Amino acid sequence: MAQAAPPGMNEVGSAHESSRGKLFARSLPFVSVVLLVLLPLLHPGPEIIRLLFITLVWITASVAWNLIGGFGGQVSFGFAVFYGLGAYTTALALNHGISSWIAFPLGGFVASLASLLVGLPTFRLRGPYFAIATIGASEAVRVIMTNVSLTGGASGYRIMETGAFHQLEHFYSALALAAVVVAASILVERSKLGLALVAIREDEDAASDLGVNPYRAKLMAHSLAAALTGAAGGVYARYAAFIHPQGVFAFSISVAILLMPIIGGVGTIWGPVIGAVVYGLIHEELVASFPQLHLLLYGSLLILIVFFEPRGIMGLLGRWFNAMQRRRRLSGSHS
Amino acid sequence: MAPILKVDRVTMHFAGLAAVREVSFELEPGRIYGLIGPNGAGKTTLLSIIAGSLRPTSGSILFEGRALGKGRAFEAVHAGIARTHQIPRPFRALSVMANVEVGASFGRKAKSKTQEGNDASRILQWVGLSHLAQTSAANLSVGDQKRLELARTLAARPNLLLCDEICSGLTASETAAVLRLLREIQQAGTTILYVEHDLKVIMSLCDHVIVMNHGSKLVEGPPQAVQNDPAVIEAYIGKNGDQVSEA
Repeated sequence: MAQAAPPGMNEVGSAHESSRGKLFARSLPFVSVVLLVLLPLLHPGPEIIRLLFITLVWITASVAWNLIGGFGGQVSFGFAVFYGLGAYTTALALNHGISSWIAFPLGGFVASLASLLVGLPTFRLRGPYFAIATIGASEAVRVIMTNVSLTGGASGYRIMETGAFHQLEHFYSALALAAVVVAASILVERSKLGLALVAIREDEDAASDLGVNPYRAKLMAHSLAAALTGAAGGVYARYAAFIHPQGVFAFSISVAILLMPIIGGVGTIWGPVIGAVVYGLIHEELVASFPQLHLLLYGSLLILIVFFEPRGIMGLLGRWFNAMQRRRRLSGSHS
Repeated sequence: MAPILKVDRVTMHFAGLAAVREVSFELEPGRIYGLIGPNGAGKTTLLSIIAGSLRPTSGSILFEGRALGKGRAFEAVHAGIARTHQIPRPFRALSVMANVEVGASFGRKAKSKTQEGNDASRILQWVGLSHLAQTSAANLSVGDQKRLELARTLAARPNLLLCDEICSGLTASETAAVLRLLREIQQAGTTILYVEHDLKVIMSLCDHVIVMNHGSKLVEGPPQAVQNDPAVIEAYIGKNGDQVSEA
């Protein structure tokens, strides 16, 4: 899909610099994955692995949300539903002796089915009405799960896996899933579905006037995003071995999943990844330092981003890149 | 010849206000029709009903013998009806080429994938925007936005093209270029229903004119006959008017 470059992004810099920049940008993801695969060789310690594991789970959920929220412009505050349902489905499957290779996709499948139940009525609404409806759906599911005795209700549910705990196995599961989600995001962005989603985000009626079926495109993207978020919930549940509705269905999970792409750059491929890395690394420190105030800080951050740089960190990087290029050109013309 | 479009007693109410009342007409394939009338006559509402954007309160729309009018625009596009908007609505985050690809990819079915790709490039060349293909649609002038509006609508491969005041806001030379394009589109076999305020444009372009006033069809016929019809003169410039030059 030929999305237009942000103003100024393609007007400066020599062809050589531009191709070098492209090579760097293209190789960075592969280098990052290789580094993460090899990281355990450096024996970084369980705490670092845990932090990276959590960050990879956040990356998965953030990139998945971006499929419908970023490309399609449908701002959902209800992704904790899919994260939680994925977590619980995986937990139930594992406790019934099902392999994690089947349990994770099963979590994604159940989350995807739930996305249809949420999406069929809510995608008839637009803008703030859609956002409010997703909050309602999310809270309804949380309350229901708090009262389901099969999964322990409010007391939570424990996963009874036999065998030793291998932290690296969990880390590699999260890494593999994050890589799959980013690849899926790239494929969607380049597909007809991606083109339809951007058209819907820009002007839903005009998109329909050109033959796009907005309802179907939104349902498809929502379903895919929910499946990937559900799988992320499953990977987290297996690692945590204990889940409860106030944790995996919490509204703060929905806010976090929405906040990360906005921090990084909503509607882009790498913005949600960068946002999740930033969020993953600072979240625990913020919660520990400001236990009562961290949500207020996130809210303030959200307002600042929306006001001053709606394109998030990707927007800031774009500006910085352009400024550097201009400075180089100026210094080149003076010498 | 069987009509390509049959509008039968179409009525549209908005909360008690009748924007369109019992309007009926037929369009024959391959011709250019003008739809005119003073402000508030119901032209754009009728266009939106034919394009599938609005569901009529009563009446029926038959396109190539098939019933439409369910209020789903994409279904009308898949059937072969596509519209332009009075105020262009480009997808600003997309390039000019990607805007046209939306029409090519989701419009009436192409014969092949190759045709989809070819259509987008060919149409951009046709409307004179190929040199701006990779430019952001947000950076286009008003004239180029109108061309893009036309290009992406044509990319949807319509049999019936609905044009809503596509020349408004254009310079004389830009208007002439757009009218030339419309004639070429007609010669390629597409039927055109053209809504316009400027009677000079309508009279020079159209084979047949339908006049609306206060939501109802006033008269229809060849341009010269319509221009001299006392009811049309009265609708446009009042009872004491003696000549219709421009609305």
